[in-house]
Amino acid sequence: MSEVQQQEGSEKGGKHKKVRAKKSSTHIDMTPMVDLAFLLLTFFILTTTFSKPKTMDITMPVKDTTEINRTKVPASQTMSILLTENDRIIWYMGIDSAGLPPQTNMADFSISGEKSLHKVLLERNKLIGDQIRLVEDSVKRGLIPDNEEEIKKHKAAVKQAEKKGLIVLIKPDDKSKYKNLVDILDEMLICNVARYAIVDLSESEKELIKNAQQ
Amino acid sequence: MPKIKVPKKTPSLDMTPMVDLAFLLVTFFMLTTKFRPDEPVIVDQPSSVSDIPLPDKGVIMLTVDSKGRVFINVEGQPLRKDLLERVGKQFNQTFDEKQIKRFSILASVGMPSGQLKAYLDADDDGRRKMNASTAGIPIDSTNNELAIWVNSARNAAPRFSIAIKGDRDADIPTIKRVISILQDNKANRFALITNLEGAPEVSKTQ
Repeated sequence: MSEVQQQEGSEKGGKHKKVRAKKSSTHIDMTPMVDLAFLLLTFFILTTTFSKPKTMDITMPVKDTTEINRTKVPASQTMSILLTENDRIIWYMGIDSAGLPPQTNMADFSISGEKSLHKVLLERNKLIGDQIRLVEDSVKRGLIPDNEEEIKKHKAAVKQAEKKGLIVLIKPDDKSKYKNLVDILDEMLICNVARYAIVDLSESEKELIKNAQQ
Repeated sequence: MPKIKVPKKTPSLDMTPMVDLAFLLVTFFMLTTKFRPDEPVIVDQPSSVSDIPLPDKGVIMLTVDSKGRVFINVEGQPLRKDLLERVGKQFNQTFDEKQIKRFSILASVGMPSGQLKAYLDADDDGRRKMNASTAGIPIDSTNNELAIWVNSARNAAPRFSIAIKGDRDADIPTIKRVISILQDNKANRFALITNLEGAPEVSKTQ
């Protein structure tokens, strides 16, 4: 190998000439690179999803089988909402006691319809609703600093202090869907119902639903 | 009239700033994109007005699909390895290296304990088929495997919160059963995953 190279060197050495670098522009054609960049860009834009799922926090009571530890609820403030198939709602005030069937009402999930549960809840829970509106008003007038944390704290305080508010017992039956449950929980949030629980149906309530369907 | 000579010039323009920008955006999207492994089930969540975002990390996710099948998911590879070992101990099963590795990179799992090994040994196509036909993690009181899963997950990751991702059409008995299993495991606080929907304006004016 080395010999060959030497030979070549001597040949060229004979007619020595200055080798000039060809003057060429320093521009590189960037088009393919740009193409690639935009291709990747398009791919990542299309595959990215920015929407994060939201959550709804619920707290269930500690499971306790002893009767003594159960919270007693005053009948006058208690509202039972029975969820059943085809998105129908049956509700009544008070506690169901054996032998004395409560006055039941039908309702639906609409916001402003004739049978809207939303309206019923707002009306029955007017006390808390008014108090919370008062908090909102005082924010507008500058009595409470306008930051979210502070407002939330005040609203929570109102809900806490309000012992006369509605207590809602949510009783989904076996034919209702998960969507109905979430909708009702959502309604609690919208209507500022502070105290609610998911409860099992009693036998007499199962009868009630059966009768209502006929 | 003399001819006007147009100076010969290459019609190239400086593309450098555009390339800079393009690559900047590419980098941004590459870094923000998170590739999720294939979820075995597609769940159509109900919507609500609640706007609390789901945390990125630290969630034990229970998925209930429209047929009432239950799946469990925990994110983080070392954690999943730990979880599989704990679950294996409860089911009296031992998994080899390959199966553990496979489990650590999968998403939700909804297999009865008997099929778990076969599921991990299968290829992607086989797993898809098994996911379509699985009955989910058993939740009935005689064969309550979900309780074992939840218990193991909570032991493996004590600080994780629990979220239930239910389909709109999931039936209430299943949901109630899942909640009851959670309560048995002393998990009384959990989140329901929903889509955001605008709050109805009517409530404010009334």
